Amino acid sequence: MTATSESAMTHDTTLADDSLGTAPDSLATSTPGRVSLRGLRKVYGEDKNATPAVRDVDLDIEPGEFITLLGPSGCGKTTTLRMIAGFETPTAGEIRLDDELLNKVAPNKRPMAMVFQSYALFPHLTVFDNVAYGLKLKKMPSARVAEEVETALTSMNLGPYRDRAPHQMSGGQQQRVALARALVMRPKVLLFDEPLSNLDAKLRVQMRGEIRRLQRRLGITAVFVTHDQDEAMTMSDRIVVMNVGVIEQVDTPQEIYRHPATVFVADFIGRANFLDVDVHAVEDGRAEVGVLGKRWTVPKHPGVDVDEPVTLLVRPESVRLSPTDSRSVGGSVGRVLSSMFYGESIEYDIETEAGNLVVSVADPHAHETFGAGDFLDVGFEEGRAWLMPVGGETQ
Amino acid sequence: MTATLLPAAADPVGVGASPPRPRRRRSGRDLTLVTLVTVVSVLLFVIVGLPLLRILTVAFSPEGWEIVSSMLTNPVNRRILWNTVQLGVVVALLGTFVGFVMAYAQVRLKFRGKKVLHLISLMPIVSPPFAVATAAITMFGRNGIVSNKLFGLEIDIYGLKGLVFVLTLSFFPVAYMNLKGMLESLDPSLDEAAANLGASKLKIFTSVTLPMLVPGIAGSFLLLFVESIADLANPLVLGGDYTVLASRAYLAVTGEYNVAGGAAYSLVLLVPALSVFLVQRYWVSRKNVVTVTGKPSGTPELITAPALRVPILSLAVLVAGLVVLMYATVIFGGFVKIFGVNNDFTLAHYRFVLAGIGSDAMFTTTILALIATPIAGLLGMLIAWLVVSKLKRTSGLMDFVGMLGLSVPGTVIGIGYAIAFNTPTIFAGRQWFPAVAGGSAILGGAMAIVMVFVARSLPSGQRAGISALQQINPAIDEASTSLGASSFTTFRKVTLPLIRPALLSGLTYAFARSMTTLSPIVFITTPQTKIMTSQILAEVDAGRFGNAFAYCAILIVIVLGFIGLLNLAMLHPSIRGIQRR
Repeated sequence: MTATSESAMTHDTTLADDSLGTAPDSLATSTPGRVSLRGLRKVYGEDKNATPAVRDVDLDIEPGEFITLLGPSGCGKTTTLRMIAGFETPTAGEIRLDDELLNKVAPNKRPMAMVFQSYALFPHLTVFDNVAYGLKLKKMPSARVAEEVETALTSMNLGPYRDRAPHQMSGGQQQRVALARALVMRPKVLLFDEPLSNLDAKLRVQMRGEIRRLQRRLGITAVFVTHDQDEAMTMSDRIVVMNVGVIEQVDTPQEIYRHPATVFVADFIGRANFLDVDVHAVEDGRAEVGVLGKRWTVPKHPGVDVDEPVTLLVRPESVRLSPTDSRSVGGSVGRVLSSMFYGESIEYDIETEAGNLVVSVADPHAHETFGAGDFLDVGFEEGRAWLMPVGGETQ
Repeated sequence: MTATLLPAAADPVGVGASPPRPRRRRSGRDLTLVTLVTVVSVLLFVIVGLPLLRILTVAFSPEGWEIVSSMLTNPVNRRILWNTVQLGVVVALLGTFVGFVMAYAQVRLKFRGKKVLHLISLMPIVSPPFAVATAAITMFGRNGIVSNKLFGLEIDIYGLKGLVFVLTLSFFPVAYMNLKGMLESLDPSLDEAAANLGASKLKIFTSVTLPMLVPGIAGSFLLLFVESIADLANPLVLGGDYTVLASRAYLAVTGEYNVAGGAAYSLVLLVPALSVFLVQRYWVSRKNVVTVTGKPSGTPELITAPALRVPILSLAVLVAGLVVLMYATVIFGGFVKIFGVNNDFTLAHYRFVLAGIGSDAMFTTTILALIATPIAGLLGMLIAWLVVSKLKRTSGLMDFVGMLGLSVPGTVIGIGYAIAFNTPTIFAGRQWFPAVAGGSAILGGAMAIVMVFVARSLPSGQRAGISALQQINPAIDEASTSLGASSFTTFRKVTLPLIRPALLSGLTYAFARSMTTLSPIVFITTPQTKIMTSQILAEVDAGRFGNAFAYCAILIVIVLGFIGLLNLAMLHPSIRGIQRR
């Protein structure tokens, strides 16, 4: 885990700098916190038997880690974040920060800072006063407040806007103010509640990178909530995939993508083909399966057993196509139903005896493309497939 | 945007997306629109413009101007002016405070019985004038049941004290509605952001909630100020020696038959009322900072901390208790001989109103209000629609004139009507119209009363309509036009159904306001056309409180009954239309 983030950090320093990259180390003097959630549960309303919004959540967030809570709306990710911040009281379970129990600590006493989805900038205060708000509450002398705020504003390229009202600024600028207001508090944990969802697509991609670089540079613990898997994949050290109130999987983006624990995760992250296969043999970490007229040796989820129903995950980009002389669908032969050209890739819908497959071919040459009705030999990269149980035990 | 449109408009073949609307408007081909604007303008001119113009001409005549110019030099007049301002400021301060307490309790505190408190806070809106004043005299006057019988006090309720008490109880709902709406639209994440940055509950209140409400508080203050200086009913009943401009103007016209004097005092009343209206519209509304980023997400956590909850709730309960006491007095007082003196049960008062001499006024008022309500509702919606989506440069003017009926004090409107319509309208040596107001007028003066009802009640519909229309995407309107509908067809088939809720509230307000308006009515009511509110005044003047209570109670029942029927009708599928959301 730490290895990943360290290697990423060295990689980061080589990157070209931009508007957020100049954040001074003076902002980094806070010690990153360790957050532990134990048996966390939240039921809304008086009825204790109602369906919990969050249940059985156990999670350890390491100091300096960037962790993302990902899932569809209503999966409990925002509720979890709000319980960490203190805006929701857990029905059961514990929240600890550096071993201190936080359940009974009021939100204004928790050393955490949050960046809100709507930014929640105080509309009646200037940019400067917004950023200074929390420092003034700390009873910091006003000269130091001014100094700290100026530093924060300058580092975010917000210096010229210090006397503006929030509504006089663009969405991206407001976002920076919200970030500056949170960072200036030197929190032990930085909380993000879908902060990029109100930005346009291009700015969103830019801010992703900026927030991630800033977080690494300051070495601060960050919890980020989003429903956008691209955000989660590109920003996180680890992703927590949630669905209907429970954690489906906690792992690095690569592991989540390559070795999903449940069908839900496989389906939610990226695109997936699920093939029905015959399991011939199961050995340590591998299995021999029959599909598309052949036998394949594929990696498997530890939960796969001979008697349990299983499915084979094959990502669209792991499918391999080659021309064939055969003129009928069956065995390894499939037929192109449709093709779509995306520029950097081409995508096919292919009918096979194992069902219809979505296939993505990166950067094809013009003479390598196929058209609707073409018959093809269909296979896949064995090492990249993933045999997994159906109806994961966490459901 | 303009850069992309211009070449398209210059495109001779018209293949580019040439905007159809500006072209159409410039050539003036949409005749229905021109007709509509003309009709609405003429109507507005007749029901508000003309009476105001006549007031001004009389006030600026030599006799009128003499009184206007003596406002500061003549000690009596100076006293009246000072009284008016003093009353306005005190009531505005207290009423805004009470309204804020009620709104804060309603939106932010956790307690049982919120709905009840809300309904109690709204009760004074549907109440006729005099109800609170008469009840206050009965309860807290010199021989008041509470003040004297219970505590043995001799309180002189007549004058500033009583007026402040009664006006605050009557007008705080305006501030309540205003501030409640604002509190509800505050983004709860602002509170969370403040808490997240280390602010305590109290600190959040003083550093976030309160500053954000400043425009609403200022707006409520101004509205209450105008309402209280414009009020005529309560100063007549409770004023005693405490004369204000409105009651002075009334005395001039009805007691001294001095129309010029009435016009002069009206002018003096008109200036602050209109300035406040202008300030409120063009300054306070611009300072509004509530919605800046995004829409409010989630609901704020309700406050349970006793430090805030106990004092605010106690105050809210006290106010609610007073309101309930006032209306209980009205209801109970109608069923006893003389409440507090002779508490024997009697139905004489209700018999008087329902079956006796009083029934005449009850029927006339209800019928005239029923005539005025749809006119005011539709006219209000029509003006709103013209202002929001049809007119360009003149939209501000039409909006302003439409709102005059409410922003001009009723006393001023009434005197204006008396001057303008008591005699036939003669212009350029020709009679254009017979007298419509006064005893010798056509229809016994009923027409002028309907006109006043419409003028007084269309602004609320207009306001509701404008805010509803501003939320409708203009493309919907354009779609209808591009499919071949004329402006009026678009209004009838597309716009009106979309703003149905606004129309409903417009009609509700129109009826309630028509039934309860007094100040303009007392100047134009006639023996043939008796109006309930002015009948109540007569009963109160004669000391027959029982009859007044019965009148008030029945008036409230009629208004609530109408609102109930209207809501019921709107629930019917054929009227409600497609269920949205």
